[in-house]
Amino acid sequence: MKKSNNKRFLAVDILLLILTVLPIVFAIVLKVLTEPPADGIQITGARIFFTVHMPVQDWYITEAQINSWLVIISVFFLCLYMTHGIKQKPNSKRQHIAEWAVEKTESLVKENMGEYFAGFAPFIAAVILLSAFSSLLSLCGLFPPTSDLNIVGGWAVLVFVLITYYTCKCGPLHYLKSFAEPVPLLAPLNIISEVATPLSMAFRHYGNILSGTVISVLVGAGLQGLSSLVLGWLPGVLGDIPFLRIGLPAVLSVYFDVFSGCLQAYIFAMLTMLYVSNGFPADDYEKRKLRKNTKHA
Amino acid sequence: MQTLEIISVNIWNMLISLCNLLLLFLILKKFLYKPINKVLSERRAAIDEQYTAAEEAERKALESKEKWDQKMLSADEEADSIMKNAVVSAQRRSDKIVEEAKEKADDMIRQAESEARLEMKKAQAGIKKEIVNVSAALTEKMLNREINGEDHRELIDSFINEIGEDDDADE
Repeated sequence: MKKSNNKRFLAVDILLLILTVLPIVFAIVLKVLTEPPADGIQITGARIFFTVHMPVQDWYITEAQINSWLVIISVFFLCLYMTHGIKQKPNSKRQHIAEWAVEKTESLVKENMGEYFAGFAPFIAAVILLSAFSSLLSLCGLFPPTSDLNIVGGWAVLVFVLITYYTCKCGPLHYLKSFAEPVPLLAPLNIISEVATPLSMAFRHYGNILSGTVISVLVGAGLQGLSSLVLGWLPGVLGDIPFLRIGLPAVLSVYFDVFSGCLQAYIFAMLTMLYVSNGFPADDYEKRKLRKNTKHA
Repeated sequence: MQTLEIISVNIWNMLISLCNLLLLFLILKKFLYKPINKVLSERRAAIDEQYTAAEEAERKALESKEKWDQKMLSADEEADSIMKNAVVSAQRRSDKIVEEAKEKADDMIRQAESEARLEMKKAQAGIKKEIVNVSAALTEKMLNREINGEDHRELIDSFINEIGEDDDADE
């Protein structure tokens, strides 16, 4: 009985792992099947699979969109895998890792945003995971969704909505008054800085990842040209193999894809926490709540 | 195949991406944070329970120890009092015995003394009587006969013999 249970447990484990990896494999297959043969240097945005006609603007279902959905599916199954068979007395490494991650993000959020925002931990984790995994997709040769402005822009808009929502917690009047600080003369600048927040966040993230991709492509193409120039005299197939492309692009990929991708995810999450908690007037909110309570009582 | 411009703004794509982030947030909340936090709080509760159980056990142990200590103390006291009582009663008894013995001895001495005195009185009386008898006999004899040495000797011998006979007769 126990043995069969064990077997079933293992089977579910393996199934979940496969389902975690499957979306990435699917993305690679999709890319291989649909990508036209490259000729020279191509630096473009995401490729469009379908166009859906919508009011105001057409909706393009692009590579970036699909890749980010696949990342979400992958993360979803990863969560199921991590929490599969968790017990009160942990005996598996993955439970330790999952608990560590949960406690780490919760303490990070509490440290940076305060007790009031403790419920933000899953959101911050979602930002980090989605951003990091999207950027890391470029390791598999896929189009990283974070190098599409629309994707990162959507997140930034959400952050802007959150900032505004928490600044308005003390009422719209208080929100409007916050623009006139410290002197009413600075109101235009305050408005600009308020709008600049999501813009800067979106462009920072998108620009960093895109520049990495662009530099990788340029260096790759340059090395290919150099290789054919220097080693082109070699007979037969040997002359066509770009030997100089071995080595340097890997180092660049470690920097631009892995390091920069994770760093930008971290920065985006940190900025989200800082902006949302800074926008929230904690002291005034406490006072207001107290006043409301006394009025009720 | 068409591609987007490298810098392009499309509100629908942005909206979808926004929803994606919210979706992932909900997924993480429901499928990672909720179960993990549940397990963590369960563990915390179990640990708390164990702590309280341990405290309870310690408290009980201390209580019973105190009880035993008290019992031991009272037992000691009891033993002490028993010993004391025993000693006291033994003392009393020995005193009584000694007193009784003394009394008995005194009695015996008194009895012996009185007996001795009686005996002495008896003896004295006997001797007196004897002396009276002897002197009476002597005077009788002296009055009846002339005194001469031979006769005296004979007389004394016969007298002494008489006394012996008298004594024998007395006995």
